[in-house]
Amino acid sequence: MKLVVKQIIVWTFSLVALLGLVACSESEPPEPTVVEAFMNDAEALARGEALFVGTCSGYCHTLERSDTDALFLFDCQWKHGGSDEDIFNTVTDGVPSTRMVGFGDNFPQGADDLWKIIAFLRMNQEPCA
Amino acid sequence: MRNLKIKTNHWLLLGALATLLAGCSEPSSTPASSTSASGAATANPAVTAAEAMADEPEVDAAFVSQLPTDHWINELPIGNNEGPVTIEDLASGTANPERWLHYGGDYNNFRHSPITALNPDSISDLKVAWSFPTGTDGQFAMSPIVYDGIMYMTTSYNHVMALNAATGELYWRYDHPQPDDLRICCGPANRGVAIKDDMVIMGTLDSHLLAFDRFSGEILWDIEMEEHSYGFSSTAAPLIVKNMAIIGTGGGEYGVRGFFDAYDLTTQERVWRVYTIPGEGEPGNDSWAGDSWKTGGAPTWSVGAFDAATNTIMWTTGNPAPDWNGDDRAGDNLYSDSILAVDADTGEYKWHYQFTPHDVWDYDGNTTIFLADITFEGRSRQAVVQANRNGYFYIIDRVTGEFLSATQYVEQLNWATIDASGRPVPDPLTMPQTNPDVRVCPGLQGGMNGAWAGALNPDLGLAYIPTVENCMKFRKGISVYVRGQSFTGGSGIDTDASQGLDYGHLSAIDINTGEVKWRYMDADPMKAGVVSTAGGVVISGTISGKIFGLNGETGEELWTFNAGGGIRSMPIVYQQNGDTYLAIGSGDRSRTSAVPQGGQLFVFKLEEGQF
Repeated sequence: MKLVVKQIIVWTFSLVALLGLVACSESEPPEPTVVEAFMNDAEALARGEALFVGTCSGYCHTLERSDTDALFLFDCQWKHGGSDEDIFNTVTDGVPSTRMVGFGDNFPQGADDLWKIIAFLRMNQEPCA
Repeated sequence: MRNLKIKTNHWLLLGALATLLAGCSEPSSTPASSTSASGAATANPAVTAAEAMADEPEVDAAFVSQLPTDHWINELPIGNNEGPVTIEDLASGTANPERWLHYGGDYNNFRHSPITALNPDSISDLKVAWSFPTGTDGQFAMSPIVYDGIMYMTTSYNHVMALNAATGELYWRYDHPQPDDLRICCGPANRGVAIKDDMVIMGTLDSHLLAFDRFSGEILWDIEMEEHSYGFSSTAAPLIVKNMAIIGTGGGEYGVRGFFDAYDLTTQERVWRVYTIPGEGEPGNDSWAGDSWKTGGAPTWSVGAFDAATNTIMWTTGNPAPDWNGDDRAGDNLYSDSILAVDADTGEYKWHYQFTPHDVWDYDGNTTIFLADITFEGRSRQAVVQANRNGYFYIIDRVTGEFLSATQYVEQLNWATIDASGRPVPDPLTMPQTNPDVRVCPGLQGGMNGAWAGALNPDLGLAYIPTVENCMKFRKGISVYVRGQSFTGGSGIDTDASQGLDYGHLSAIDINTGEVKWRYMDADPMKAGVVSTAGGVVISGTISGKIFGLNGETGEELWTFNAGGGIRSMPIVYQQNGDTYLAIGSGDRSRTSAVPQGGQLFVFKLEEGQF
């Protein structure tokens, strides 16, 4: 009988410990998204900036607010969704009936290039209300 | 009842509306009317639409004004029976003071009227005779055409109107329906129509070429020059040479392969196309690395010139693409930023001169070219002279293309010197950088800019050049080409405008030497066209809305008028029944100015001794 009680105690303790571990692991910070990872990568941010400057900022978008038709992407206004995925899809697929043609998979380093552009946008975004 | 009729793409809607109204509306006790004492339609297009429906008095005028109408045609006789516009008429330019037949006034682009009545003594007698709204925002940047007592005027977004040149009475109007996905970099400008026979011809933002019956406004034909969504657009007035309409394209910021076309006005067939970038195997193609020529830009978005004596059309070209990153297009990038001379009948190459080889500053070579006979270093020369966007005033032999001289005409210039052969020697520090720290002059707008047209007084030997002084830094990035997408490779960075350091001037330049004779200064960049008269005045405007008249010889300010909206249009001077008129449009595209957008044409009349 003592043995049974002892086993129950051991199993209970083990179960509690296991649950504790699970709970502990759930409180760990989640894995950073690809955009978040690039936001902490100076080289990636520099490439994102270079791509934005060379591909987006000539006449369509601007680095600073300006007196032109160009849309400013560093405020908090997103016409077609403001999540990283929304922005990714908008740039990839384009916006019908506008001059925003989708870039598809034409970025030299594929999807990573677009995530780096988004990381650059996030890093330089104005504070949102 | 006036003679305008709605011609719309919405007949079904009108039919349904008429049926509905016939069944339920009460007859109006006061039929909609906008007829003036003379029987003329008023200048308000919305009211005109109501009037056009006045055959059906039960239609409510306010309701009709909201119909999606885009075309009002004329069915009554108009004009003075001058007949079709002939090749000889076009060759005579502004010789007949009652006419203004070309964007540039004549084939030399002088924008110079033989009218002597408008002179330093009389200019202060100009009074507003009539005015007309455009109903559109964006820059109002056209030059009217006047023939047979009728003025043909365009607006932003390709609206075109025919007006009585003496009274402003509206004869017909067409609003071009635009797609939502226009590929325009720099505003919805249209710079005017051309005229030949009984046709008025206009290029559109969606890269079509339209011809209208000049009396009725009916569309005679419609050519799609290129698929607009690939990056093409047309903002310039066509140039009529013989029986052809010559017109170029925009798209230097979209990586198009530039061209200019000749279309037969009778058959609408394309007679020739000159690509401004040589194809594979053609001379000059090797000035582009790899396949970069295929997406190299070199657009042709302004008006060229025609030298009948040598049967030569000269056309200018814009920046290579991508604008600010030339890494993938190593070489001179012929024939970007150039003047191209071709045979008028065949489009065959004659000569070229490239102002800015391997441009990385967006120094389009599209500014006004003047065909002027000059004395250069003691010798008579048939020259073409141009105040280029890169800040230099060029004198070139227009028969051979030989470079004669380049003289700095802007006050600030540091991007390059010019060697004895006419080739720029750029300062490497001014090249676009990833993190630029050098302020480069001129900025990307120039200098002068092809969006507006200068004038030239051949009697005084002076070219009048509206000039921007707005230096910038240039930033280079990684460019990715996708057809129809912006393809710029970088951007200009403001250094002056936000600090209030930008300014402008109208400079008078000696066409024989390139020497600046005088400058009329303004606190803002100068972005309007110019007209000159044989009476010795020159007229233009500022982006703060001031129309001004100067003594053409000295630059002394003689007369001003506050038009409200910024001046971006090309003024013209003409006579009707012996009276002298000045027409100039007001209306800019600034989004930060407190002045509301909206184009407005002002027509002044010389009222000597009456006020």
